[in-house]
Amino acid sequence: MPATSPASLLLDTRLRVETPEGVDLLLSPAGPLPRARAFAVDLALRGALSLTALLVLGRLGDLGIGLGLILLFLLNWWYMVLFEVFNQGRSPGKQLLGLRVVHEDGTPVGWGAALLRNLLRFVDMLPLGYCCGLLASLANRRFQRLGDLAAGTMVIHQPRAPRGSPLEPVAPLAAPFALSAEEQRNLLDFDERQRQLSPARRDELAGLLAPLLGVPPAEAAVRLQRIAAGLRGGV
Amino acid sequence: MPLSSAEAALRPRNPWEAVDLGVHLAQRHAGLLLGSWAALTLPLLGVLSLLLWRWPGVVLLLFWWLKPAFERLALHVLARALFGATPTLGQALRAWPGQLRGELLASLTWRRFSLSRSFTLPLTQLENLRGPARHQRLHALGRRSGVARWLTILGMHIELVLWSGLLALIWLFLPDQLSEPRNWLSLLLRPPQELLWLEHLSNACYALVLVVWEPVYVACGFSLYLNRRSELEAWDLELAFRRLAERLGAVGQALLLTLAVGLATLLASPPALAGETEPAAEAASALCPLPGEDNPGPDTPRLTHQPLTSRQAQAEIYVLLDQPPFHRVEERFDWNWPERDDEQPNDASPPPAWLQDVAESVEVLLWSLLAVAALLAWRYRDWLRLFAARARGSAAADAPPPTRLFGLAVDPASLPDDLPAAVERLWATDPRAALALLYRGLLSYLLHRRGVPLKDAHTEGEVLVLVQRLGDAPLAAFAARLLAAWQALAYGSRPPPADLGAELGAEWRQLTAATPPREVSA
Repeated sequence: MPATSPASLLLDTRLRVETPEGVDLLLSPAGPLPRARAFAVDLALRGALSLTALLVLGRLGDLGIGLGLILLFLLNWWYMVLFEVFNQGRSPGKQLLGLRVVHEDGTPVGWGAALLRNLLRFVDMLPLGYCCGLLASLANRRFQRLGDLAAGTMVIHQPRAPRGSPLEPVAPLAAPFALSAEEQRNLLDFDERQRQLSPARRDELAGLLAPLLGVPPAEAAVRLQRIAAGLRGGV
Repeated sequence: MPLSSAEAALRPRNPWEAVDLGVHLAQRHAGLLLGSWAALTLPLLGVLSLLLWRWPGVVLLLFWWLKPAFERLALHVLARALFGATPTLGQALRAWPGQLRGELLASLTWRRFSLSRSFTLPLTQLENLRGPARHQRLHALGRRSGVARWLTILGMHIELVLWSGLLALIWLFLPDQLSEPRNWLSLLLRPPQELLWLEHLSNACYALVLVVWEPVYVACGFSLYLNRRSELEAWDLELAFRRLAERLGAVGQALLLTLAVGLATLLASPPALAGETEPAAEAASALCPLPGEDNPGPDTPRLTHQPLTSRQAQAEIYVLLDQPPFHRVEERFDWNWPERDDEQPNDASPPPAWLQDVAESVEVLLWSLLAVAALLAWRYRDWLRLFAARARGSAAADAPPPTRLFGLAVDPASLPDDLPAAVERLWATDPRAALALLYRGLLSYLLHRRGVPLKDAHTEGEVLVLVQRLGDAPLAAFAARLLAAWQALAYGSRPPPADLGAELGAEWRQLTAATPPREVSA
């Protein structure tokens, strides 16, 4: 297993996983609450499916009941496994709520891990209704329930593509000082998020950098916007 | 509240990730949170139960109703701990009565059933907002409190699940005699006064469940509040900008000085710079210069008059390379032969004589088996060779020889039956076509008669090398003449000598007559 470490010394929801190529992946494990929601969706879906199947098959007499029982078995034991293997670790509930199952190193789950983590649901359900799993994932740093611990998997939030907001075209400007990658990212963030801030707060934030930019604090926001445009390589 | 001392990374997150951050917060301070909650609520429940022993349902209702008041303790601990001022258990408990001021009545009456109470509690308790100001603030913050409502709904279910799970666990641990349905029925059919202890037990279980869950719930609500505020106020950007200002403010002065000095040296000595570039250009022309006197190689000390000499730098680099991530210690477990333990004296008693006999006979048996195997291998050597050959050369032998090479048809069927005659006929009118025909004939002969593995990628020169490797001197000489003439004509448009056609035709007749046709096994 590659070394995973928290993304920073601060308490954070992200885990940093280093691939053998030296690339850092940031994964954010999903806690018991979002997972409970996804499980509720899956449970409702499975319940509805098995109810309709039993209603339809029940009319066929003993044969129908036999088929229905087989179907119940498949729904109970294979629903999660098949979806996780064939749908990139996402059962319908997880897909709806933007979660997915991966190995601890961020690779997609295969047959072994999916089978193991789903067979061990029975342990997590002890003594009633996922008590063990809930307590285990509340106590774990990666929010793994017992099945996840055994299979070496975890559930992560699927990163969603950010909605690009249309940016005003401004004349790009080179930054007057050298910036690290992190600082460039911060400036770009400021440019993209300044519409969510109140104007007073925006000017206050930009004013922090006004002495460095050599402009009055009132013009700092526009100057930062132009520098961000320059970093982005024009609009 | 200095943002830089926050112990959590405060950046805008998706609200559900913010809930996860709340769980992390609760995990980090689990001992303090759970301890303070237990120290506060469990004695209170005990007192309530003793006072209202006859009415356990009322005890449960009162206890449940007072939850928002208890939550203020957890929030107080969390808010202090987030900014590095973690209180001790005693401090937290002493601070609790003070936290109860501020709309306690509202939160215990008409706001008791608000689903987003975990999200709005920090407004009341930490920002001390009242009335219209609180309402306005809530309006600004609260557009996304849907997740807070979800949190409360999920929390109710989690409480129920944990509570019934705990009761089920207790039931599972009952001895068999007690858990028989008959006994249960007799227990439950008793007058209600005698069942009070059972209800109080269930109340105690509920209180225990709250010890685990409520701090998490409060932490999640607090984290949602923090997330919303850092979204609206860009706390992470403020931190980043402050850091940037700090870094550049400190460096700025030194930078100006360095720039001035650097500019002065640049302006003072341009010819020196130009002079230095010329040897550099020469050095660059030699791709890989050998170490010499003027170029002593990378291992000799350089930069000896700098503050950082090359030796020192090298030492530091090696130290760095010995640390992660360049140096990784990996533990692997493999099956291995055990190391022979020579130090231990072989004090085992000699085996009995009959065992020696058995061992000898087994040895004889094994040797004779080996001999029989060798005999069999010799007897069936042809069969084995056939199989081995098939396994080895299958890829080459199975592939049919190509019918076209470099755009020339080399299938035997595409050639005239009497090739030399056709060549001599064509020679007078069109030497190019005649040579091409003869070249095709040669290629076809090599492919089909001699089994030379020719490929589309072979050049004329490579074909010649392959022919020479066959060890057939007349054929090689013929091919060399033919190919030289063909290359001169095809690429250089130099016509071949007039009598070459007849000579080549004659040679070709000799060659094909000398070599009996041999079919290559497909």
